[in-house]
Amino acid sequence: MRARVSPGIAIILLLLAGFVLAAAGAELLSPADPLRQSLLLRLREPGFASRTATYWLGTDDLGRDLLSRILYGARASLLVAALSVSVSLVVGTALGLLAGWFRGWTAVLIMRFVDTMLSIPAILLAVLTVAVLGPGFIKLVMVLGLTRWPRYTRVAYAATLQVAGLPYIKAAEMAGCGATRILWRHILPNIAGPLMVVATSEFGLMILFEAGLSFLGLGIQPPYPSWGSIMSAGRQYVTRAWWLTVFPGACLFVLVLCVNVFGDWLRDRVDPRSRSR
Amino acid sequence: MSDAPALVVENLSLAIGPAGLVDGVGFQVAPGEVMAIVGESGCGKSVTAQAIMRLLPDAIRQTGGRILLGGRDISAIPERAMRAVRGQLMSMIFQEPQAALDPLTTVGSQIAEALRQPLGRVRGEVLRMLRDVGISDPERRIDQHPFELSGGMCQRIMIASALISRPAVLIADEPTTALDVTIQAQILDLLRRLAIERQTAVVLITHDMGVVADIADRMAVMYAGRIAEAGPTAEIFAAPRHPYTALLLASIPRLSDVPKSKLAVIEGRVPNPSEFGPGCRFASRCPRADARCAAETPPLRPLGAGRLTACFHAEPPHGTQP
Amino acid sequence: MNTLEITGLKVHFPGRGGAPVRAVDGVSLSIAAGETLGLVGESGCGKSTVSNATVGLLSPTEGSVKVLGTELAGASRETLRAIRAKAQMVFQDPVTSLNPRMTIGEAVGEPLLVRGLARGAALRDQVGALLEEVGLRADHAGRYPHQFSGGQRQRIVIARALALRPALLVCDEPVSALDVSVRAQILNLLVELQARHGMSTLFVSHDLAVVRHVCDRVAVMYLGRIVELAPRDALYSAPRHPYTKALLAAVPEPDPVTQRAKPRVPLEGEIPSPANPPPGCRFHTRCPIAVDRCRSEEPAWRAVGAASVACHLA
Ligand SMILES: Nc1ncnc2c1ncn2[C@@H]1O[C@H](COP(=O)(O)OP(=O)(O)OP(=O)(O)O)[C@@H](O)[C@H]1O
Ligand SMILES: Nc1ncnc2c1ncn2[C@@H]1O[C@H](COP(=O)(O)OP(=O)(O)O)[C@@H](O)[C@H]1O
Ligand code: SF4
Ligand code: SF4
Ligand SMILES: [Mg+2]
Ligand SMILES: [Mg+2]
Repeated sequence: MRARVSPGIAIILLLLAGFVLAAAGAELLSPADPLRQSLLLRLREPGFASRTATYWLGTDDLGRDLLSRILYGARASLLVAALSVSVSLVVGTALGLLAGWFRGWTAVLIMRFVDTMLSIPAILLAVLTVAVLGPGFIKLVMVLGLTRWPRYTRVAYAATLQVAGLPYIKAAEMAGCGATRILWRHILPNIAGPLMVVATSEFGLMILFEAGLSFLGLGIQPPYPSWGSIMSAGRQYVTRAWWLTVFPGACLFVLVLCVNVFGDWLRDRVDPRSRSR
Repeated sequence: MSDAPALVVENLSLAIGPAGLVDGVGFQVAPGEVMAIVGESGCGKSVTAQAIMRLLPDAIRQTGGRILLGGRDISAIPERAMRAVRGQLMSMIFQEPQAALDPLTTVGSQIAEALRQPLGRVRGEVLRMLRDVGISDPERRIDQHPFELSGGMCQRIMIASALISRPAVLIADEPTTALDVTIQAQILDLLRRLAIERQTAVVLITHDMGVVADIADRMAVMYAGRIAEAGPTAEIFAAPRHPYTALLLASIPRLSDVPKSKLAVIEGRVPNPSEFGPGCRFASRCPRADARCAAETPPLRPLGAGRLTACFHAEPPHGTQP
Repeated sequence: MNTLEITGLKVHFPGRGGAPVRAVDGVSLSIAAGETLGLVGESGCGKSTVSNATVGLLSPTEGSVKVLGTELAGASRETLRAIRAKAQMVFQDPVTSLNPRMTIGEAVGEPLLVRGLARGAALRDQVGALLEEVGLRADHAGRYPHQFSGGQRQRIVIARALALRPALLVCDEPVSALDVSVRAQILNLLVELQARHGMSTLFVSHDLAVVRHVCDRVAVMYLGRIVELAPRDALYSAPRHPYTKALLAAVPEPDPVTQRAKPRVPLEGEIPSPANPPPGCRFHTRCPIAVDRCRSEEPAWRAVGAASVACHLA
């Protein structure tokens, strides 16, 4: 099962590791406190050096260090994406397993629900729910997690149906395994591949959703930084302070690109049709 | 069968990446003759057939050898010319007839396509062909789609479309493997009759020694990408000279053996192309193997009476006069 | 008491367009202790359906299936679980018979573990002994299925089926997916295990020569029914039913001399759909000796010599 990793993928993996380390080590890496304001240092261009510090990426309209805000913002983005992906992965997979195992009415009900959810544009659903519930980190995670599970359910359902018909599942029944053990030990490990592929593609999407919601003011709330909220605040100064939108935007672009390329690579490895036999 | 051979394959070698799949395979088939290539799954039967038709998948390269069709080398002619060869001079049928037929086109049109004519113009000829391959009620069947027909009938349709242009050579890759024995018997009878009536040279690929015994005039036994033994069917079955052929024949349960008796076994398993060593590829499983077998490739050498074997220690012909 | 006793078994599946698929439509058979019964017939005639019903993986639409006297039809989940300790199964395709994410040791030991029969070191010892019994090495237990060839995987599957020391082993085409040179290894193993443990076996195959090699009695199935059931030697030397005769004539024997001398009994046409079986004798659409009566009247099951046959003219 060990993969040969091409140089391209190696670079992508390194970049992803870089993002994760930057987010995890924000305290250590940040040159300044991302929340400390200074009216004297408003909208300084990148590379501006004051008596005490150098602002490599400049400062924002409240004089806060942009580099520090982006590092902390990476943490917000990755944390929201990781947690919401985990929530929807668990919920979606559980429902898909149940539908695929019990079939019949259980499956009809669950899959109808999935179809309904999938027919509503996802970002609209998220915006509406946040608008009703109000913003906040936990709420953001829950909203994203609980609106994004249907794709996992679809994939888990189809994969469960397929695996459940295989002789080794019959053999497990013959061995005397109960439903829990069959689902947990025999089916789940064998449908994990396609689910991980969905999870990575969703991870990229969740980063964008978080940025979008924060940009609209519905996500991470000021003064805490997130790439979306930094860009949102910087929007007013696009002509005067380009760095406020360009740097977080570029980070967002590179991160999502890396995640998606990684996801494609993972899909090619997991999908047996693209594996050479 | 005194005529010049319709198809000659010389020293054909195929490789995927660095691994050789098929190594120096050669045989010939005369008009009206059924020549069987028999071997276990993965030994290179299908890729050999695809190489003859020049239909190899991209990953597989031909690294050597010639293919002579009616004396003309077709292994290097341009793809355009090859398209005229396929279907006109040489046709192929497959294991899964239903998968090989176009699901959206009526069987009549598919057969007519082999003549490169619209069905309207050649309807009479197609009907005659359908009758010839034993399709009952051809007037109705001609306008049906493949999914309306059973597997056995689809194979008859495949045979009809392969033979309607009277090609010199028919390559049949496991044509009856997906069929039941009663249907298999029908299709084998049909193939034999058509080969003789139309003087078609048939290359029959199979893993089933029973099928070989039933219809092949001559046979080549393949093992791990090489020919182990070749010659007239009756003689090979009567006195196999290569240890692999001998063991294989002894390991098959027969209607005449003693029930529950111990069958002869070939220990181990067929090697993968990546495991091919320098010597005889059967050496790891061969009871007669010695040091030379592991180091040197046994050449395919003639034993007389049209028989060939690739073994240093070929069994002496028993039951013959000294 | 017979190890297996099937009476009037029917298994119907919901079909497209109303008419149910009568996959098994009135099958009765029994297997005595230590006996091997072969079940042969063409694709789709219902062999796998019978074997699945025998171990309770399918529930009968009608009729009774008794393993060691315990009824499976309508049995509770606990009863089924208990019966499966006595009736185990070997499947056709060794690739899909093993969970690719489980080591073969876990697979072979699973029946013992989940039934609380062994754990820890005792489980490891038993798994090792089972692997050795089927000709593998005990220290292979930590490997995954993809590290084994088809024949070896079938050995693993057999070891798993033996773990509970079943009284009945159901083998559904156990050698059909294997290479010719490996088939003999597995057949020898099955014959040997059967002699050693004295299990009863239901051996399903479409290969008449293989069935003859391992079975004591043979049942021939056609379109959801058994048409002939006879001791092996009687069936092969003096087949009674026209379908049995045709099947035997169609088996290509790996011997050009006998094969080409064999009289051809070509069977016209193909097996009809089980959703819409012909009236009267189900075989009449293909039977070379059918008479008028066959088209309307179902042949009764009767004894002819050592055989039981369902044919008006046998
Ligand atoms: N789950 C199912 N739903 C509907 N029809 C089914 C189902 N399972 C089997 N059948 C049908 O029942 C009939 C008997 O099937 P079965 O698998 O028992 O045949 P078989 O004799 O084992 O054939 P083979 O030799 O191909 O394995 C077939 O017509 C098949 O299509
Ligand atoms: N499209 C392909 N790509 C890669 N390898 C292939 C392909 N087709 C066949 N092979 C390999 O070539 C060898 C011979 O295959 P094949 O000719 O199909 O065997 P068989 O004798 O069963 O017909 C096998 O090792 C097989 O895995
Ligand atoms: S050459 Fe040697 S190893 Fe190969 S078949 Fe002959 S005796 Fe066996
Ligand atoms: S009952 Fe009639 S149709 Fe059926 S097998 Fe006997 S002779 Fe043939
Ligand atoms: Mg092939
Ligand atoms: Mg079956």
